[in-house]
Parts: sequence; C-alpha cells; structure tokens
Amino acid sequence: MAEGGDADWELCKENIQPLKGGRAIAALNQALSLQEGFSSATNQHKQAFESELRLYEGDDPLDVWDRYVKWTEQTFPQGGKESNLSVLLERAVMRFTKENKYHNDVRYVDLWIKFAENCPEPLDVYRYMQAQGIGTMQASFYIAWSEEYEKQANYHKADTVFQEGFRCHAEPLEKLKQFHKGLQARVSRQVMTGMLEEDEEDAARVKEQERMSLVDLKHRGKKKAVAPINRVGAALSGKSSGLSSQGEAAAGSGSNTRFRVFDENRAVSAAPAEPRLESWMAPPTSRAKENEQRPEKWSSIKMPQRSRFGHVVVAPPSEPNFQPFVEESDQPPAMTPCKINPAVNSVLSARKPCREETPLKRLQEHSQQQASGGASSGASGGAQSGASSGAQEQSMYCKELLLSGASEFCFEELRAERYRQRVSAEPSGREG
Amino acid sequence: MTGSNEYKLNQGPEDSISAVKFSPSTAQFLLVSSWDSTVRLYDVGGNSMRMKYQHSAPVLDCAFYDPTHSWSGGLDTQLKTHDLNTDQDTIVGTHDAPIRCVEYCPEVNVMVTGSWDRSVRLWDPRTPCNAGTFSQPEKVYTLSVAGDRVIVGTAGRRVLVWDLRNMGYVQQRRESSLKYQTRCIRAFPNKQGYVLSSIEGRVAVEYLDPSQEVQKKKYAFKCHRLKENGIEQVYPVNAISFHSVHNTFATGGSDGFVNIWDPFNKKRLCQFHRYPTSIASLAFSNDGSTLAIASSYMQEQGDISHPEDAIFIRQVTDAETKPK
Repeated sequence: MAEGGDADWELCKENIQPLKGGRAIAALNQALSLQEGFSSATNQHKQAFESELRLYEGDDPLDVWDRYVKWTEQTFPQGGKESNLSVLLERAVMRFTKENKYHNDVRYVDLWIKFAENCPEPLDVYRYMQAQGIGTMQASFYIAWSEEYEKQANYHKADTVFQEGFRCHAEPLEKLKQFHKGLQARVSRQVMTGMLEEDEEDAARVKEQERMSLVDLKHRGKKKAVAPINRVGAALSGKSSGLSSQGEAAAGSGSNTRFRVFDENRAVSAAPAEPRLESWMAPPTSRAKENEQRPEKWSSIKMPQRSRFGHVVVAPPSEPNFQPFVEESDQPPAMTPCKINPAVNSVLSARKPCREETPLKRLQEHSQQQASGGASSGASGGAQSGASSGAQEQSMYCKELLLSGASEFCFEELRAERYRQRVSAEPSGREG
Repeated sequence: MTGSNEYKLNQGPEDSISAVKFSPSTAQFLLVSSWDSTVRLYDVGGNSMRMKYQHSAPVLDCAFYDPTHSWSGGLDTQLKTHDLNTDQDTIVGTHDAPIRCVEYCPEVNVMVTGSWDRSVRLWDPRTPCNAGTFSQPEKVYTLSVAGDRVIVGTAGRRVLVWDLRNMGYVQQRRESSLKYQTRCIRAFPNKQGYVLSSIEGRVAVEYLDPSQEVQKKKYAFKCHRLKENGIEQVYPVNAISFHSVHNTFATGGSDGFVNIWDPFNKKRLCQFHRYPTSIASLAFSNDGSTLAIASSYMQEQGDISHPEDAIFIRQVTDAETKPK
C-alpha cells in the first residue's frame, strides 16, 4: 500500500460521502485519483457485475447484488449520478420482495436500510418493511428506524421502536440493548442540559453566546435601520424564527416544566400517524411539501418598460381573455421518456416524471403488479408478458434479462457474457 | 420459399452472423463477420467463399475501407485490417471493451469505431493508426456515417451527432424519439437524416437539420409485429439498409421478415417471405441491385435451439424497391 505522505483524500474530504463501516483506503485513493471519475477499469468491473447479475444461476442471487452495491459505494465516494447507486438499491430491493427467505437476511435488510436512507421519507419505508415482515428479526432494522425518529427529535417513537424490537426478539439482542442504552443516554443528557440552561438563563445568554442563523434582528440606530454586528443575545428581536441549538429548544419548549419527564403517553407534535401494525399497502404521499412552492405571481410591482422608441410599454395582461386555439398538429410528437425503466431514464427529456412518484411508490406498484399479473421472470427464453399494457402486447425477447440490472444490456452484450463464461469453463479453449 | 432471384450462400459461417457488408465498388463481393470469430469474403456471383481470416473472439462488425481492405472488430477488443489481395492481417489498435461498430467515412477518409467502453475512435486508414478517442455518454450500440458526420446511438436511448472534421464537441445531442432501446441507426444516402429502429417493433425517421420546420417532418411507425390470438407480438428491429439510388430502405426484424419502406410517401413497398429465423443484418449493394439478408438467431429469447443461420442473396427489382 502506497501510504507515505500522499493522503490525497485529505484534500477532498468534503466530497466524500461517509459510509457506515468506513471506506477501504485503497479504493478511496484510486477513486479520487481518477480525473473524470470514470476509468475503463471501473467500467469493465461494472459490466462484469451487470453480466453476473443476469446470468447467475446459483442459489444465492442476493450475494451478487450485495457485492455490487458494496463495490459501487467504495468506487464512487462522491455518490452522485454516475454511481447509479440509488437505482441499484431500488432494483435490488424490488427484486427480492417476494423472497421470504431473504426477508431477515442481514444483507438484504442492510440494502433496505440504505434504500430507505436514500428515499425522501425513510419512515414510510421502515413502516412498509415492518408490514411486509422484512427485517423484523434484525436488530439493525430497529436501530436504523429509531435513529430516523431521533433525527426528527421524536424520542418517544424512537423508544417505542426499540420496545418493538425487544418484543419481536430481534437478533443480535445485545446490539439492540446497547443502542437502546445509547438512545436513553442521549435523551437524558438532553434533559440535563435543558435543566441547566433553565437555571443559568441570564448568565448563559451573556457568556455562552452562540450565533444564531436565520433570525430576525433588532435594528440599531434611529433613522436608518442598521443590523447589529453581533447576532447574539439581546440583539435578537425574538426567538420565534431561526435555527437554534438543541439546548435552546429543549429549554424553550417547556418553560414551565423544569424536568422533562419521559412520558410515553404524551403525543409529541412532530410525529406522523401512529405506526400501523396491520398490512400497510397505501402508498405514502410525498410529505416534503414545504420546499415546493406553487408558482405564483411574483409581486404586484410593475416595471415600466421603455421600448426602443421611448414609449412606455405596459406589460401585457397576465391572462388572455380568450382561449388560444391550439392545433393538434402543432404538438410535436411527444418525446416520451421510458417510465418503465428508471435506469434508462437518466437522459434529460422533455417531460419530467411525476413529482409525486417516490421510490417507495414504485416499489409498491411493482409488487402489486407482480401479485396480479403473475409475471414470471424466467431467465431462459420464452416470451414474457408485457406487464405495462395489460397483456395485449407481448415482447418477443428476453426483456427482463436486458433490464434486470442497474444499467441496460443489449442482446450482444448478454451473448458476449455467455460466450465468456463458456470459454473460461473450457480449459482447452482458454484465450490468452 | 426462395425463388430463382434468391439463393443461399455456401460455406456460411459456423455460428451467428453479426454483420454483412457489400464492397463499395461492386455487387460481387460481400464481407461477413460472425460469432465464430471469423471474417469471410464471399464471391456472391459465383456463390463461393474467397477468403477467411480470424480474430481471437467473436467479431461484431466489419467494413470495407476500399475494395481491397477490410476492417473488423469484436469481443477481443482488437481492431484489425486485412489486405484482401495479400491475405495479410494488421492489428491497428484496441478499445478498452468489445468493439461494436466499424464504419468508413469516405468524405473525411477515416475509419470510425464505436465500443462498449463508451468511446468512439477514429483511425487513419493509410498509416494505419489511431486518430483520436472521443467519449460518449454511454455504451455505443450503433453508428452510421452521413457525409462528414457520424450519428452515434448509445445505451440510454441517446443519439449524438458528431462532425468528423471537428470532433472538439458534440454537434447535436438528442434523445431517441422511441421509448425503447435503440437497435440500429442508418443515415439517408442524401445525408438529410437517419432512420432509427428500436427493440420493440418501431422505426423512427428523423432529420438532422435542427430547425423547427424540418423537425416537424419527423415521424415514427410500428412494424415487425405479428398478431396471434388477439395478442400483438412485438419484435426487435435489428437491421436497416438503404437503397442508394431510390432512397428507400429495408428493415429486418426478429420476426424473420424483411420490409421495404418508402420514407417520403410513408408507405411500405414490399415484404418478402418469412426467413427461417431473425434477421441480424441487411446490406444493399452499391448499385441497389442486390440485397444480402443475414438470417441468424441472435439469442433474443435465450440460448435455445433455432433454425440454421444462413445468408441469402436476393436480386431485387424496381418494383420492390422503387417508390411508386
């Protein structure tokens, strides 16, 4: 290993996404040394994985996906679209939803957890998993789930998850206990700091002043409103908006109660609906609506426009008072993106896919289709029913094989892989 | 059933055929690349094999540089040129992954190759040596030369148009107007546009001029589909070849049919009898008198038994290929 002083990764630490379990330093150095992030060796390796996925005939197909995902994470430290990781995870997870033997396989559960973390609403994914019985015997599942609640400061739910884990006798039990203790420790530490802050309110304000971001400021000066330089303590106009450290929040929320009792029965505000333990088939609606604004008229201010001839041109009325006639032939033939295969849909296309569609929704649609259509995924020949258009069209080629990995294959690539396997199996015909 | 105007080539390759190409100067010679790792030269008139040379792995495409030199590449990633007079090989260069397409551009006098290593490489045929490597966004599945431009079809349904005299940047980036994987692209002889076929029974006719009025003329149509018991069976369209004189084109699909189309009147001119198995490749001769049809199973439905692979040579008539 070439260590000696060449720690290039130090220079791009910010660009490297952290991995639970750490990164192999050799892979990291190699990945960072490539200028474009793409080398032919990487491509070849990827192609090899894709081929293996399609032509694997053993008992443990999950192994191939598992190795592929791990290799992808190590090889593309910046994450990003080139790695295709989110597509890969989605595929891997979808592929085995019906395979009960994998439901509590620690590798499969880990894939689900990674997939959930990639989704806009991880909690929905975890609830789905629970409803489907995936990971319910694995400690890692409950740990990840409760971490998500913890991130949302929903300590009550986080604890409930652990209780559920204990009830289901998830393994390894020691790990579950250990993380549960960690949660309890963190919560009690918070409570303690909250208590201390209450006692030393005034002193704290003066001494330990933390700069608060995104807060309204009181202005100084009589004639002009001048924002103060020190954005701490008394300069703040109020504490209603802005980000604040957790300690403040704990102190601020219950000004009357000094001691925050861990009350299981009290519903905490941030929690979404109670986790339902019955089968959960309703697709989750996208809740991340705060950041999506409907386009509105920007302001009522109108800029007087001066045309070339010096006249003031009034901006045209925003709504025409007639319905413009659109000739049908004017519509350009639709550049329809391929909605069937997310892996192929990486090209910029004229129409954007529906925003409401989340990976979890796709997964549920897929499993519903599988249940109703009963599409077989035979690897060897035979016509496959087109699942999309209600069995009216039949694709006379091995569609599933071509599309089953994270990237697409053509017939020649598939055949090339069969050829390669055949050649390496024959010792006499081995190529150099 | 083959009539007197059509016959099967003798001494065909021992495995599937990947490409057939006629000589640029005569309808007499045909170059054939195959999965049996050979490239063969046939005397079409005399129905005999004239020459054969080897690669170390299946060959995916071949092309004539001039009537006496053939170029070929395949799974062994090596680009070879073979002198058909002296029967001598030369290895010109390599790609990092199998070579999928080999074409010649007469206007710029350069050989163009496309590979699954996501690059297109240019080669000077005189020296011969590499004249540049140009990365594509995805694996290259097909390419076609139109005048001094090359149209590249890649995975992810992308289409790129490059100006061979100015490879510093991509001239046009497009997305295939078809929903499914691109199988084949061939440029019009008049260089105004190209025809693109997909893996699900559809062909699109597109134009290179990006202006709105010209782009309005583009269209797509369904083909190579069979109706059986109320279900429409959709087949990949693997091969396209243009008639150099009439600007009509033939398509070949995995249904075993060859259709001839008139793109300007948007009509099908003719459909030949059904061939024993999938059509892997088509080639019109330079004078448009002859059509070579490679009927060769491509493992579209897995590695199953299939009718024998064969190359058919058909003398085509004006009635079959001329717009009415």
